[in-house]
Amino acid sequence: MRDVAVIGVGMSLFGKQPQRSLADLGAEASRAAIRDASVNPKDIQVCYCANYAHVIWCLAQEIGAQVGVTNIEMVNVENACAGGSTALRGVWYAIATGLYDIGLVIGVEQITTSSLAGRLLTSETDLEGSIGLSMPARAALRMRRHMAEYGSTAEQFAQISVKNHLHGCLNPYAQYQKRFTLEEVLNSRMIAEPLTLYECCPNSDGAAAAILCAQDKVSRYTSKPVWIKASVLKSPTYLALEKDICRSYLTEQCAQEAYEQAGIGPEEVDLVELHDAFASTELYLYEELGLCPTGEGGRLVDEGATALGGRIPVNPSGGLLSQGHPLSASGVRQVCEITWHLSDQAGKRQVHGTKVALAHMEGGIVAGLGSGACSIHILSR
Amino acid sequence: MSQKLIISEGLFTKNKNALVGHKCTMCGRIFGPFATFCYACGSHSLESLALSRRGRLYSYTVVYNPTKHLKPPYAIGWIELPEGIIITSLLKGWDEKALSVGIDMELVIEKLWDENGDEIIGYKFQPV
Repeated sequence: MRDVAVIGVGMSLFGKQPQRSLADLGAEASRAAIRDASVNPKDIQVCYCANYAHVIWCLAQEIGAQVGVTNIEMVNVENACAGGSTALRGVWYAIATGLYDIGLVIGVEQITTSSLAGRLLTSETDLEGSIGLSMPARAALRMRRHMAEYGSTAEQFAQISVKNHLHGCLNPYAQYQKRFTLEEVLNSRMIAEPLTLYECCPNSDGAAAAILCAQDKVSRYTSKPVWIKASVLKSPTYLALEKDICRSYLTEQCAQEAYEQAGIGPEEVDLVELHDAFASTELYLYEELGLCPTGEGGRLVDEGATALGGRIPVNPSGGLLSQGHPLSASGVRQVCEITWHLSDQAGKRQVHGTKVALAHMEGGIVAGLGSGACSIHILSR
Repeated sequence: MSQKLIISEGLFTKNKNALVGHKCTMCGRIFGPFATFCYACGSHSLESLALSRRGRLYSYTVVYNPTKHLKPPYAIGWIELPEGIIITSLLKGWDEKALSVGIDMELVIEKLWDENGDEIIGYKFQPV
């Protein structure tokens, strides 16, 4: 396996953009990434493009046609919220194994024009989904259980939303650039007790893209590559939910594999972008990613450790809560954010001295198994 | 003519008063209604049994957004059965008796909603 670097990233604004076409959004992000990498579109040899919410064929090819990337291996992928990370993994794999030298990763989503607009995400094809176990309901059940089991508080969960919205104010690409107080989060409309509206990610449209390059070709394009030190993608297993229905053993397993691949431990990570579809999810993920021991996520919030300026800033972009969550775009968007921090281009939200950063996404729910997919990438200078 | 339809085939025991479980005859593990083989040892030798009608409330929430079938607010939770499995269930009686994690709950089998003129029959748990 060869080392693979990110040599360019780009994205569209995230927000409600129903007037734009999917291909238009994807092309904007791809064009920005191609420009950032100073790569000739004709030199791109492989492209993976993730999308979930629209039944559309050959989206990668349609985007490629707009930006001069044609006549190469192109793959369109779906893995729910982990789709973007899956596309990244696909291109990484194609380059790391030596098949190609340069590839394009695209994640693009337009929720506002899809059948998901304004609805709670639910799997209505299985029994649990049909009796009302929507994604927010599931998040609320985990939240309540954490409070009962470990003494975490509604305020600690709400503080995560306050933090991520504060971070989002510093991100020009974020859907929401608006501060909220703890009271505003706690008093916003109840979605599924004790989870409130401002603790849930919004409907979003947007795209993100990245150019990956094999180690031996990197010097042609940049003197400051960002290296992919670990790439993990995994499906869930039987019985994990029986151990603890609230916990994502899949994330714990992927994190362990990613740390092993990168040859580091969680204490060496300087920055994390994780899947905060709900404020409650972020608190659980602190524990599952090993940022703190089980049950101590609330304490980590109280210490301010995961805020900008803290020991281990989490979601400096604003996360899904404030940056927005165009499902398949989010995993690639995280790589944009991390690449900017690792190359000192993150502007007002720059986490200074970032050397190692971790990106985490989970996708979908499969009856009896839990999250359908988890993908973790570790990147470094 | 309105019919009573069970929400999912194979959910209840024959006398329709309990949820069906499946016990592996090789390793003894017990699973919920829809297991077709043993998720622990892979054996296809399962025998069905009636799951406990009582359990404890593992977690719960009241949801304020509608779904395809349900008008808000509705309550849903996870029930921990003595067999060691957790069942997702709509909750009943939550507006009369305050819920809290750990309380005893019991099974009720009743109509969940109407669909195309038919009654959809399923299960709920309510505080004992």
